[in-house]
Amino acid sequence: MTASIAPGPVLMQVTGLSKRYGDQRALTDISLTVNAGEVLGLIGPNGAGKTTLMQAIAGTLAADAGQILWRGTPLPLSRRREFLFYLPDGVRPWEDQYVARVTELFAAIYGRSQAFLAQTIHALGLAPVLRQRVVELSKGYARRLLLALALLTPQPLLMMDEPFDGFDLRQTRDIMNVLREVAGAGRALVLAIHQLRDAARVCDRFVLLAEGRVRGVGTLAELQAQTGKAAADLEDVFLALT
Amino acid sequence: MRPLLGKELWEVASGRALWTMLLILCPLLGYSFFQAVSLYDEASKAAAESPVLGSGLSPLDGVLVPTFGGLYLAATLLFPFVAIRTLGHEKESGALALLVQLPYRVPALIVAKMTAIFGAWVAAVLCAASSLVVWLAIAGHLYLPETLDLVGGHLLYGLLVGAIALFSASISDSAATAAIITLAFTLGSWVLDFALAGQPGVLGWISQLSLTQTLRPFEQGLLSAGLLLGMLAAICGFAALAAVWLHPGVRVSTKMLRSAACVAVAAGLIGLSTQLGPSVDVTEDRRNSFPAADQKALAELREPLMIAVHFVPEDPRYVDLRRNVLAKLERVMPHVMVRLVTSGQSMVGSASDDAYGEVEYSYARRSDKSRSTSHREILPLIYALAGRPIPQPIAGEDYPGYPLVANGSPALAWFLGGLPLLIVLAWWRSRCPPHVALHLTKNGGHS
Repeated sequence: MTASIAPGPVLMQVTGLSKRYGDQRALTDISLTVNAGEVLGLIGPNGAGKTTLMQAIAGTLAADAGQILWRGTPLPLSRRREFLFYLPDGVRPWEDQYVARVTELFAAIYGRSQAFLAQTIHALGLAPVLRQRVVELSKGYARRLLLALALLTPQPLLMMDEPFDGFDLRQTRDIMNVLREVAGAGRALVLAIHQLRDAARVCDRFVLLAEGRVRGVGTLAELQAQTGKAAADLEDVFLALT
Repeated sequence: MRPLLGKELWEVASGRALWTMLLILCPLLGYSFFQAVSLYDEASKAAAESPVLGSGLSPLDGVLVPTFGGLYLAATLLFPFVAIRTLGHEKESGALALLVQLPYRVPALIVAKMTAIFGAWVAAVLCAASSLVVWLAIAGHLYLPETLDLVGGHLLYGLLVGAIALFSASISDSAATAAIITLAFTLGSWVLDFALAGQPGVLGWISQLSLTQTLRPFEQGLLSAGLLLGMLAAICGFAALAAVWLHPGVRVSTKMLRSAACVAVAAGLIGLSTQLGPSVDVTEDRRNSFPAADQKALAELREPLMIAVHFVPEDPRYVDLRRNVLAKLERVMPHVMVRLVTSGQSMVGSASDDAYGEVEYSYARRSDKSRSTSHREILPLIYALAGRPIPQPIAGEDYPGYPLVANGSPALAWFLGGLPLLIVLAWWRSRCPPHVALHLTKNGGHS
């Protein structure tokens, strides 16, 4: 994780977001902010509400209550896609298509140059599989393809659900470097991660979720101060707050 | 839109459903065409000894409509699976979450999918249209207006089924459920046709909603602006409903309200279409019109013709009267009003009415009655009411008929050999990897 730096201006604000499925409360009064250029980690165990939260923010799931603000202005559902892109977990889109065709589709839709497309493909190591169908890809390459699609989009905020799922240690470090470069170029990233060690390495700030509620928000130092454990790592902080 | 359209077309082409449908269509069309030509050949041989029989031989009825019947089966039973795939696959794979985030409004996404569905259906219609080439190759006769009318009708019918399938995929969680819903529409039409057609009152009106009924006028050589508008309204209505239900992030209550609005607008347009002018007869044998001299004379009668019919709708004599006289009068005269006096009654209940079976014609404050269902008795009656002489028939206007003694075997070679081979080649070609630019495969750029 990078050293503490001054946060950029607030890009997105989530206030009072709630979602329930029948009697089950999936999200309860979630509020958070995302700053420009930061990597914000949504941390929590399985079932904490990370995916539901991302879907509700992106607008692919209707929330029951709450508001999404972009630079202080309410962001209606019809305009969410202009400012943020959500990369879901566990999907294999257009699996009968060749990888080359899918990546070129996104490049064409978003007006990316061939040089940018090539740079993205090489950054994620997709060159060997361009002439394979999506359905034929291994789990790791399928994840790389999704990451490539996300990086081809231009929105200032990128939300990714479990971006390191399917990667080994070395691959995870490589992808982390790519994401840090993307954030360094000015894009804000929100990453839903359940592996706390990965989150601690790549994220600037954290939102701790458990049972659909926010249990803590801040940098590691701020969370350590909140728990009164100055030397605690992220795992200890999480266990203390949730 | 170009990248999106390209993506949708490639998605349809890369699925097995399209190619499987086209391959199954080949023997359907081939057998239908071969049977139709064989029967036409036998009738033509009989007509060689009787010119009167020959004048009744029309390629539209004898060959084209039976052949395109195979296309109708494909549209009803197979095409829904092709259309459902354009959205169902994305919903099941999770790609819908990516699709709705692309920089296109939802209507644009639906337009792209409908374009791909139309493209897939055009491929099927082209397979059927190849039978026209085979027919011409064995010296068959074609009349362009009635042929284009038939092909156009099938194009619209397939597009309507495709729109229903897209809507079904939009409201369903799985392709299987969407297929069941779509087949409920298409096969449900068969139930309407067989069980409710000819029934009085509301049941008879409901039977008119059958999808198959939309195809009949085209098969009969009629081109109706009202029917075209109605079909287009239904297609757009189902496509609009698909757009309403596509986005997973919109609340169900909002979707219900928008759906009600879509249904109201579509119903209004369909209602308006029923009020549009009658259809145009595009057949070569003018089967839907009176002889040319009568057409000309009747068109000049500008006052309203009121017709009071003492039949119940399900009476076969009324069906004859409707087809042979009333529909033709409505097409040729500017003002014709037909009233069913026995509307709401049953055939049994009306049989005791002495006036049952009478048709009263009123024109220019004069009226007369007839029990005939033939134009040969009715038209002189109308001319008499109008104070006009009976027009002399125009010489040389009789339909000659097109008997053809021919062997339909070449069609089997095409539909069971050549065409399936072409389809397999196209399928193979669609599965070939795309060309990948060198700069994408080389290890360049910084990571």
